[in-house]
Amino acid sequence: MNTWLHLARGPLFWTALAFMVLGLVRQLGLTLWETARVYRRAGDKDLPMGRVVRETGSWLVPVRHFGKRWPYSLTTFVFHVGVILVPLLLAGHVELWRAGLGISWPALPNVVSTTLTLLVIAAALALVLERAIARASRALGRFSDYSLPLFIAVPFVSGLLVMHPTWNPFATDPTLLVHVLSADVLLFLVPLTKLSHMILFPLTQLVSEMAWHFPPDAGSRVAATLGKEGEPI
Amino acid sequence: MATPKRYAYHVEAAALELSDRPRRFLEAFAAILRHGSYNLALDTYARMSAKCGRCAASCQLYEATGDPQDIPCHRSELLLRVYRRYFMQSGPLKARIFGGFTLTDEYIDEMADAYYRCTACRRCKATCPLGMDHGLVTHLARWVLAEVGVIPRALVVSVREQLDGKTHNTSAIPLPALKDTCEFLSEELHDIYSVDIEYPFDIEGAEYVFFPAVSDYLMEADTLMGNAAVMHATGASWTIGSHNYDGINYGLFYSDRVMERIVHQLVDEVGRVKGRKVLVGECGHATRSAWHIPTFIGPDGPPVVHCIQYAHQMLELGKLKLKPEKIPESVTYHDPCNIARVGRITEEPREILKAICSDYREMTPNRTKNYCCGGGGGTVSIDEIRGFRTGPLGMRKADQIRDTGAEIVVSPCANCKKQLRELCQDNGMEEVQVMGLHDLLLKVIDFGTDGGNGAGEAHEGDEDEESEPTAAGAASSGDVGVTASARSGAAGGPDGEEG
Repeated sequence: MNTWLHLARGPLFWTALAFMVLGLVRQLGLTLWETARVYRRAGDKDLPMGRVVRETGSWLVPVRHFGKRWPYSLTTFVFHVGVILVPLLLAGHVELWRAGLGISWPALPNVVSTTLTLLVIAAALALVLERAIARASRALGRFSDYSLPLFIAVPFVSGLLVMHPTWNPFATDPTLLVHVLSADVLLFLVPLTKLSHMILFPLTQLVSEMAWHFPPDAGSRVAATLGKEGEPI
Repeated sequence: MATPKRYAYHVEAAALELSDRPRRFLEAFAAILRHGSYNLALDTYARMSAKCGRCAASCQLYEATGDPQDIPCHRSELLLRVYRRYFMQSGPLKARIFGGFTLTDEYIDEMADAYYRCTACRRCKATCPLGMDHGLVTHLARWVLAEVGVIPRALVVSVREQLDGKTHNTSAIPLPALKDTCEFLSEELHDIYSVDIEYPFDIEGAEYVFFPAVSDYLMEADTLMGNAAVMHATGASWTIGSHNYDGINYGLFYSDRVMERIVHQLVDEVGRVKGRKVLVGECGHATRSAWHIPTFIGPDGPPVVHCIQYAHQMLELGKLKLKPEKIPESVTYHDPCNIARVGRITEEPREILKAICSDYREMTPNRTKNYCCGGGGGTVSIDEIRGFRTGPLGMRKADQIRDTGAEIVVSPCANCKKQLRELCQDNGMEEVQVMGLHDLLLKVIDFGTDGGNGAGEAHEGDEDEESEPTAAGAASSGDVGVTASARSGAAGGPDGEEG
C-alpha cells in the first residue's frame, strides 16, 4: 500500500500536474497565437474591448445571470467555488506544498474547507440530477457531462473521509490512495476534456467577438480556391 | 417550372441536382477555414462546450416547440461535429478508435433545415457562460451550405438581381420607376405638409449617400417621406446614387463571399458620387452589413450613420424642430436584433419616441435582451414558411406586443416590419399598426409652413374610411394609400422580396 501511495503522491502526481499545466499552456498559447493571427488579418481592427471585458467579468461572478433557472445556476456557482478553493487552500494541501517545494500561502480554516467540500459533493450530485431532470440539458447531455461531475466528486468524498477519520468506514490508507489517484486522473483529464475551460474561459468572449472580424478578402479567396471566381450567382 | 421541395423552404432546382455533396461541403468548409477566421471560435467551442442547456431558456423557438433540435447548442453541435471529425487533429484518430460519424447527404439535409430554423438573432449568446455565439455558427454553417447550393430561393434570386442583374437592387426597381416614386413622394409631402422636398439624385460631394432597404420604395412610403423630411428640415447635404440605391445585403444571411461583393458595390457608389458618408435607412441588417465596411474596405472606408442616429443628433442639436402636438396613440418599440443586440442603437429611438409620443410603452424584455420578431436572418423573405414564422418562431413576440396593449408598434427595420405585420395578422391583432420610426417623426416635424399636421389631410385623401383622423392614424392610412401608388410606380421586383 505504501508503495502505491508513494507512487500516486510522487511520480504520478508530478506527471499528471505537468501534463495538465503543459496541456493548458499549449491550449492557451494556441488560442492567443490564433487570436493574434485573426486580429492581424482582420479588416476591421476596432474591437469593442470594453464590452468584451464587461461580459467576461460578468460571467466570473455570474450572479446577475442566474435568471429563471437560478437553482441550477446557484448549484453550478457553488460547485465552481468549492472546486477552485478547496484543492488550493486546504490546510493539508498547503502543508504538502510547503514540505515539498518550500512554498506556502494562507490556508482556509478546516471548518470552511469541510463545508465547501460537502457543498461540492452535494452540488456534483445535484448537477447530475438537474441535468437528468431538465429537458434541455438532458437532451444535450453526453456521457462525459454526467460522468465528469461525479468523477470530480470522488477526490472530494475521499478527501473528506481522510480529513475526518471518525466518519470513515474504510481504512485510511486505501481511502487516501483513492483520493490521490482520482485527483491524478482528474489532472490528466483537464486538458483533454471540457475542463480546459479553466484556462480558456477568460478568452471566450474575446474569441466570439474576434470571429466577426473577417479578413477583408476571405470571400474572394474562397471563391478562387473553389474555382468559382466570376461564376454567376 | 415548380421547384421540387426538399426543405421547409424552396431552393433552386440546380441545388437539388448537385452530386457528391459531402465532398463538396468539406472542400468548401476547408476553403472557408483556410481563408477566413472561424477556426479560432470553432476550436474553442469544440473543446469547451459544456452542454449546460442555458441557451435553451433564452431561445424563443425552443420555448415554443420544446423540440431538442431547436436548442441553440444542439444546432451548433451539428457543425461542430463535422469540424471535430474532419478539421481537428484528434478527429481522424477518434474516428478510427471509436468509429462513428461520417458526413452524409442526409446529415447535410439535417443542417439545411436546422440552420434556417434559427434567425441568428444571437439572443442566446448572452446566456452562454462560455460566450458561445450560436448566431455565428449559424452564419458560418449557412455559408458552407450555400457553397453546395443550399440557399433559400427567395434570397438567391434577390442577390442575383443585385449583383448580376440590370437594376443592381434586390427588388429589381429600374431607375425611372424609382424616380417616379420619389416624385410621387415629393408631391405627397407637398400636398400633406405644404413643403417642397426633393429626393436628390447624384449630387456630387454630398455628405450623406442614402441607402435604405430598396423595398422601402415599394412598401414603406411613409418611412421614406420621413427620411427626406428629416434631411430637408435639417438642411443636410444628401443624395441618392442612381447606380446603386439598395442597402440590402443578404450576404449577411448566407455568405460572406456575397456580403463582401455587395459591400464593395455600395462603397463604389459612394465613391462614384464623391459622397462622404453612408446614411443607412430604417433597416436592421442593412445597418449591420454597412458596419462591416471597415471589415471589407479597411479603415479608409466611408463612415456609416444610421438615419435614427442622425435624427437623434439633430434633435439634440436643436436643428430638427418639432411641433408641440404629440402622437396620441399608445406606441411601443421593437428593437431590431441587428442594431440592438450588442447595444449599438437602443437609446436613440426611445428618446425620439418619448419626445414625440404621449403614451410610450416599453416591451419586456427589451434592448439587448429583446426577442427577435421571428423573421430575422432572412427568414422573413421566405414566404413559404410564413406559418412557422408567425407561429412558433414569432409567438413570443406576439405575446410581448399584446402585453403592451399598444396601438402602434414601431420598428426601424423593413424585415421586422413585414414580419410584425404578418405576425399581428396571424395572431388576431389586426388592429395593431406596424410602422417605422420616421413615419411617426414625419407627423410632428415643424417645417415652419402653414401646412396641416398630416393627420387630417392624409385622412382626407385616404380611401380607408375606418382609419381615425389622427396623426398616427394618418400614418397608417397614408401608408396604405401611398404604398399602393408607389407599388404601381415601381413594379417589377423578382419575387416581391423585401429587405
